Amino acid sequence: MKRNRLDSVLLYATAILTCALLVFPIYWLVVTALSEPDQLRQLPPKFWPDQPRWGVFAQILAERPILQWLGNSALAAIGAVTLSMTVSVLAGYSLSRFKVRGGQSLGLFILTAKMLPATLLVIPLFGIFRQLELIGSLWSIILAHATLIIPFTTWMLKGYFDTIPRELEQAAMVDGCSPLGAMVRVILPVSAPGLAATALYGFVLSWSDYAYARTFLTNAQTNWTANLGITTMKGEYVSNWSDISAASILVALPILLIYLFLERYLVGGLTAGSDK
Amino acid sequence: MPRTRLFLSAAAVALALAAGFASSAALAQGKVLKFVSWQKDERGVGDWWGSVIKEFEATHPGVKIEWTKVERGAYADTMTTLFAGGKPPDIVHLASFEFQKFADNGWLEPLDGYIKDAKLDMKGWAGQDTCIFNKQTVCTMMLYFGYFLAYNEEMLRKEGLEVPKNYAEFLVAARKLTKDLNGDGIIDQFGTGHETKGGGGQYMSEMMNYTLDAGGRWTNDAGKVTIDTPQMVEGLSRWKTIVKDSLTPRDLAAGEVRQMFADGKIALKTDGPWLWPIIQKGKAKDQIKLAMSPFSPPVGGSSNVLGIASDIPKDNKKLVWDFIQIATSDKFQSSYATLGASPPPSPRADVSAASKETPHFDLLVQATKAAADAKVDRIPKGLELVFNEFAKMVMEESQRMIIQDLDPKIVAATMQRKAEALQKQ
Amino acid sequence: MSRHTLRQGEAPTMPRAAFLDLARPSRRHWLGYLLLAPAVLLIGLIIVYPLFVSVDLSFQNVNIARLDQARRPFTTANYERLFASEDFWNACWVTFKLVVIVSTGCFLLGMATALLVNNRFKGQALARLLVALPWAVPEVIAVVIFAWLFDSSFGLMNWIFIKLGLVDTTINWFSSPSASFAVVCVVMIWKGYPFVSIMLLAGLQSIPEDFYNAARVDGASAWQRLLNITIPSLMPVLGVTLVLVMLWVFRDFSIIYVLTGGGPLKATQSLSIMTYEQAFGFFKMGYASAIGVITLIVCIIASRLMIARAPDTM
Repeated sequence: MKRNRLDSVLLYATAILTCALLVFPIYWLVVTALSEPDQLRQLPPKFWPDQPRWGVFAQILAERPILQWLGNSALAAIGAVTLSMTVSVLAGYSLSRFKVRGGQSLGLFILTAKMLPATLLVIPLFGIFRQLELIGSLWSIILAHATLIIPFTTWMLKGYFDTIPRELEQAAMVDGCSPLGAMVRVILPVSAPGLAATALYGFVLSWSDYAYARTFLTNAQTNWTANLGITTMKGEYVSNWSDISAASILVALPILLIYLFLERYLVGGLTAGSDK
Repeated sequence: MPRTRLFLSAAAVALALAAGFASSAALAQGKVLKFVSWQKDERGVGDWWGSVIKEFEATHPGVKIEWTKVERGAYADTMTTLFAGGKPPDIVHLASFEFQKFADNGWLEPLDGYIKDAKLDMKGWAGQDTCIFNKQTVCTMMLYFGYFLAYNEEMLRKEGLEVPKNYAEFLVAARKLTKDLNGDGIIDQFGTGHETKGGGGQYMSEMMNYTLDAGGRWTNDAGKVTIDTPQMVEGLSRWKTIVKDSLTPRDLAAGEVRQMFADGKIALKTDGPWLWPIIQKGKAKDQIKLAMSPFSPPVGGSSNVLGIASDIPKDNKKLVWDFIQIATSDKFQSSYATLGASPPPSPRADVSAASKETPHFDLLVQATKAAADAKVDRIPKGLELVFNEFAKMVMEESQRMIIQDLDPKIVAATMQRKAEALQKQ
Repeated sequence: MSRHTLRQGEAPTMPRAAFLDLARPSRRHWLGYLLLAPAVLLIGLIIVYPLFVSVDLSFQNVNIARLDQARRPFTTANYERLFASEDFWNACWVTFKLVVIVSTGCFLLGMATALLVNNRFKGQALARLLVALPWAVPEVIAVVIFAWLFDSSFGLMNWIFIKLGLVDTTINWFSSPSASFAVVCVVMIWKGYPFVSIMLLAGLQSIPEDFYNAARVDGASAWQRLLNITIPSLMPVLGVTLVLVMLWVFRDFSIIYVLTGGGPLKATQSLSIMTYEQAFGFFKMGYASAIGVITLIVCIIASRLMIARAPDTM
């Protein structure tokens, strides 16, 4: 495919402009973090601070337990993703390969469960967790996040398994594998990209949650997740956009890094179930 | 509800590991008292709480206080969630306009017995009457305050303005002081500053600067709603003028407004004692002076209370009481004056050090007295239990008045109707 | 495709106890159930049972849900109050507007960016990465970013709008119902379009180049190629993506809650926000559950309709 010069220039110009525009909010977050707080409320705005205060990150880490928040977010996400992936891999495989009575209705239910607003489920969960004395514990969040993740991952994995030819298991079983063995030894390795993408998606769902964390964890500062922590920084008496921005960057960074490394899998994995 | 029990026991089995893990982790450590407060990161008063905690931990080895901050905007909701969720903080810290709902649910331990046993003399303790709910003392008042006026002397001088002494002068000054300094079409200096985004309670306090001065009250002494009076209508129309003409920056939370004032972007601000420490860290610190509020009576009220959760083990209650005793002791009431830069509620506190250290201390006392004499409080009598809904309704109707440019008289009538409906609920 | 092709192909291997012999053709479906069991159990515990509780709550006059207390008497008062409430209909309308506007916005932007980075050029990989970057930014942080960009007094957007001469005075973004609704839409579109872009990009890459070459030989214009090849080939992906994006907008809570709290004048109060406010702001959990249950019914109807339109997704 050949392009003439004008087309090329247009293409590059559009690409650069689009990227710049779409990424600008993130850039502005960085600028805000690096500016002196009192310089922010000055117009015309500075598109790069005169003296970027790089020390803000060290300062904010010293002032706020951001590392602890991040650790909690990570624990919650890993717990929720592990739990969800374990059950959804099995369920997704079953829905893809076996004609299970009720499978169709289950699939339908799962789709409906995806539509449940977290704000509805949070009410009974609050009552249940209260009874189990889980309010304030990270377990409440792990279970609550599983309600967000499982419907999604089951659906995605079922779609992914559908794209894998049955001949693979057939061959394995001819070689003496049990159906379960065939799944573990043949199908799962082949599905690695799909599994990675699904797990990443679940991770992002958990990492982004605010509703559940706000409802279940507010009283337990040591268990605060990063998102919850950030929202508490806008106080009645002090409110400093620079510090909030710096903290936001620290919170977004891990997930951005994961995204950068796994982007390749993500695109393949997310869509495998639907583009056949 | 046996059906539920059955399900629950199934759930309990499935989650036994989870619950076991959670509780064993808590038991492994020494005793921990939970203390939730919105004032944790605040300059001044936050440091004071820190000193009380330190003293408590020093005198109670093996007991730690876990101090959690919850932001003011979500405070009442969060605290209710905690109590309802069966995990109340041991040391209960609430704003004085929200504790009634907690007391009404029986969540606050009556303190009369403790006070009697400790022979604590609460006579003359400012605002302590508010803490009596259904004839029982359920809390101790930590702060009663009155608003004063802080102004940026330099800005006033540039416009040739005197410090305003009443609403008319205030309005003229605010108009003159709201301006676009560099001609880019964007206002960058504001006459005054109010929170207009955030919780209803704060929004109401901001409005009350104007409604009180106009002689309006939300309810009368008998608890009857009095929003449709001519005085309230006048107050509402003043509020409408200030906000609609953008004499205050819009859509900001209280913290941001205070910060802007301290940094010299706002000329006049009425506020409580907590403003002083913020000013001290601001860029315009040297230009800012204090005076009596141009509004009479000034906004004032009881600000926050300390109590004991009723739903905690007995020995925890005893410990919390010790904590309250430290906080209300003469020594800490005196340091409250110095660190918090505000008049302490205790009549026995020695404020001479604070008087020396904070030049405007006498003014604060005077402002507090002015508000107290006029029996001003942020919680309208008769609406204590529905305060959340009431404040939200007032905020919404006021916003509607500003956005849709409604006649304050009609808005007052709407508010009156809705407030009465709330009262009947 | 047959699910039972294995029956013939299976070789009898080592003898096993019949009970555990899941490899035996007649027992194979047992394995299917067995694999489903953990999911069914977990979903039952953390989704179905809570749902049952909330339906139950919605028929009681309950302020705070406590499972250890006796059930209150059955009443339909919550529903009666709901249908008579202006706020509820307003929330429905707000949610509907949000779903339509945000989904459309996400689609247009997602499609455009996918088509853009599907071109081969130097830096294509980087562009792909950047275009999808907002997807990984947590919603609360997206709100931090945009709340400051749209600050009513010193925000960058007001400055830009004034410099461009679009407005003469600063807009009070969060004091005006339409402006704050617009800001909510902007944030949601910014957060939502990358997902569409990612999905469509993969779809685009699976279209064989030959199709385009053939169309070029036939003299089809770029526009015709888009309409006749690209869009039809993307249909299955578009279907799934549409469902997912709409679901997300429908149930989203954090963006609106942190950005506007549903205000001003309930202009951004979606059903989610209203449910949460009633439950944890005013502690009317029975009433809140009723709102939630109605939302759920709307969901079931919507999901039926959408599944009918995109049969491939299940």
